[in-house]
Amino acid sequence: MQPQAAQPSPGQPAAGGVQHQITHGPSFAMLRVDLQPGQTLVAEAGSMVARHQHVGMEVKMNAGRGAGLWAMIKAFFIAVIRKLVGGETFFVNHFTAPQPGSVWVAPTMSGQVSHRRLNGETLTLSSGAYVASVGDVDMKMKFGGLKSLLAKEGAFFLQVGGHGDLWFNSYGGIEAIDVNGPYIVDNGHLVGFEGDLRFDIKSAGGGVMGFMASGEGLVCEFNGQGRVYIQSRNPATLVDWLTRIMPG
Amino acid sequence: MPNIEIGYQPAHSLAKVTLQANESIVAESGAMVGMSTNVQMQTQSQGGLMGGLKRMFGGESFFRNTFTAQNGPGEVLLAQALCGDMAVLPLTPQGYYIQSSAYVASTPDVAIETKTGGFKGFFSGAGVFILQATSQQQGQVVVGAFGGLEELTCDGNLVIDTGHLVAWDASLQYSIGKSGAGWIASWLSGEGLVCHFTGQGRIWIQSRNPSEYGQSVGSQLPPRKG
Repeated sequence: MQPQAAQPSPGQPAAGGVQHQITHGPSFAMLRVDLQPGQTLVAEAGSMVARHQHVGMEVKMNAGRGAGLWAMIKAFFIAVIRKLVGGETFFVNHFTAPQPGSVWVAPTMSGQVSHRRLNGETLTLSSGAYVASVGDVDMKMKFGGLKSLLAKEGAFFLQVGGHGDLWFNSYGGIEAIDVNGPYIVDNGHLVGFEGDLRFDIKSAGGGVMGFMASGEGLVCEFNGQGRVYIQSRNPATLVDWLTRIMPG
Repeated sequence: MPNIEIGYQPAHSLAKVTLQANESIVAESGAMVGMSTNVQMQTQSQGGLMGGLKRMFGGESFFRNTFTAQNGPGEVLLAQALCGDMAVLPLTPQGYYIQSSAYVASTPDVAIETKTGGFKGFFSGAGVFILQATSQQQGQVVVGAFGGLEELTCDGNLVIDTGHLVAWDASLQYSIGKSGAGWIASWLSGEGLVCHFTGQGRIWIQSRNPSEYGQSVGSQLPPRKG
């Protein structure tokens, strides 16, 4: 069989990376990855749209590469907490192709999928922003601190580093902001960040009153030098809007 | 045959159907956005009571509406509920299988039948009942997608998540089953049920999964009262 037959158009060979194509962006982006023998696509559980039949799929716990028993236990507990507070699942699917084959994946919400070639850098992604990766890419779950528990979206972060291809998604459009000095981003609009950045979660208006009255909720204040990725929509705002118009 | 044009693609597509005098178009109940005053709408349960009940089990409405232009040409505008793309599929001799919630409209000479599918259809989850579109003559079917609409060519075999299916050539063989090696692996993988296709033909998929989206947003809403 010819795996190429399922390709609507030629894919972009990323320099040194895996061949892939992002279609239907920016509103309903879908990713197709063309795997060669020996390559493994790791994708968020439930994100597969289609695959060639001979592409194997194996579900694994997302504890990180070569994780020991302790790391596995930690990942499991984080997973249970994440299940309780809501958010993505802690399982990922590994796709491998004994002969060339394609996998299509798509996020749940409307929006864009972005590609980032990793050459040793580390990106910190908001919970739910991770779509897929290929190569020597390692993932670690980070707890955003007690304060971040107040903002559901900010409770956990995923640290992604190594060498390979990374795809992440945004709800709505995605904008990269080069930060030099302080910069403030609404928690629900944060996709991720990279570089030499520290951040603090605080209330936008300052104090309890500012938090309650401004309608801005919690914000991330960044300091340093690096790049911040933001999304043009906030899932929590959609939920709030729907909640208000639902019949009591 | 009516001329059907799709505008506002891909996010908020709208089908504009131009009817000659006495021409008709059949549309899913609730799809009408606007129409000329000389277009008459007739509501009927095609296939009688049983046909209507079968459709209701298929996640569709009991009734479909037939729009007919009288005393001259007229137009009908049709839309689906969710954001996304639409396409007009000209009928082929072998016909199409359509995932029931993707059906928007069809020309009157196209027979649309609900495939009960028994066990397979029942366990394939919400909205994955399948319609079969066939026609002895020329005909057109309008399908709608949640998100982008992509045409894949199946040359051998493909596995598609049932929530992303829109339509496929009836020449393809299909079977609905689990995505992984075992039921537990399938459940953990979050992929649920998939459709295994074999043969040669085209498959149209949607880039978003309506029920997955509904669960993602709906699970965060307060419980419905009463």
